[in-house]
Amino acid sequence: MRNFIAVVFDDTSKAYRGLHELWQLDNESQITVHGTAVVHRTDWGQYQVDTKETNPALATAVGVGIGALIGALAGPAGAAIGAAKGAGIGAATGGAVGVGTDLFRADTRDQANVETARVLGPGQSAVIADISEDSTTPIDARMRSLGGTVYRRSRSGLHDDAWYADFDYPYYLYPYEYIPPAYSQP
Amino acid sequence: MTMTKTPDPLSKARAAAQELHAALSDAATKQGGAVKADLEAVQQKTRALMDSLKTSVNAQQEAARKHLKEAIAKLDTAQKHAMEGAKSFGQAFEASVRKTVADARASAQHISEALAEERSANARKTGK
Repeated sequence: MRNFIAVVFDDTSKAYRGLHELWQLDNESQITVHGTAVVHRTDWGQYQVDTKETNPALATAVGVGIGALIGALAGPAGAAIGAAKGAGIGAATGGAVGVGTDLFRADTRDQANVETARVLGPGQSAVIADISEDSTTPIDARMRSLGGTVYRRSRSGLHDDAWYADFDYPYYLYPYEYIPPAYSQP
Repeated sequence: MTMTKTPDPLSKARAAAQELHAALSDAATKQGGAVKADLEAVQQKTRALMDSLKTSVNAQQEAARKHLKEAIAKLDTAQKHAMEGAKSFGQAFEASVRKTVADARASAQHISEALAEERSANARKTGK
């Protein structure tokens, strides 16, 4: 199964332990990790992604899309919105498609933010990952032992979701275990 | 006696693609002259990885083979963009660097997908 997961932790150091364990599971061939990122929610509600870019403004801007992804992973609202978007586009014609879709996207972005806030609270951090797994047990067990909460959604389901449209995949997820120097000290 | 796990060819190829992406994304944060030197080194690494993938592609099952062929195509494009970047300046140079990083990312992704196919097939065989 190809899935996207978000594993939410109460603090950043635990999130990096979670990230390391995820790559360990890959190393043990229990899962295959295609890409990972660590995202934080500040006390002011902004999303920040740890990247090699050092500009904090850029990290925050990047975080808008990944916030929407977490919202899409959060659950049933995301799936319902995905289905509604498909129906809307199918029924529309000509120029109305673009206008309707833009309005819809703005609306879903707001809903994504509301939904995301339920998953990732201020001060919390999450590991986002694109993975292949034959069983959900290895990740669930390993992350639970670290105090993480796992949210999971199939990649195919996510692709049909309006929120996913804001997620610029190659830009966000590192294809290896990237730990910024600030967190790599023991 | 301690048993050391020997990485299979796909795992090794993925590690090389990950290293390539890491080197490129590190280089992209540097200033112009330093990046150009890195881009030249990247071209050699890219070529070596492409050669290694080409030799192992036929030994893979169909689903993994498809991903590896796509990875090779992406590496080929990455090499071209790195070559363009080494010769260009200003915005054209920056665009080439961005494209090279994106291609390296895509090739790592395809190799990873091939590895997932292989692992899944092995798990089915052993019933795990």
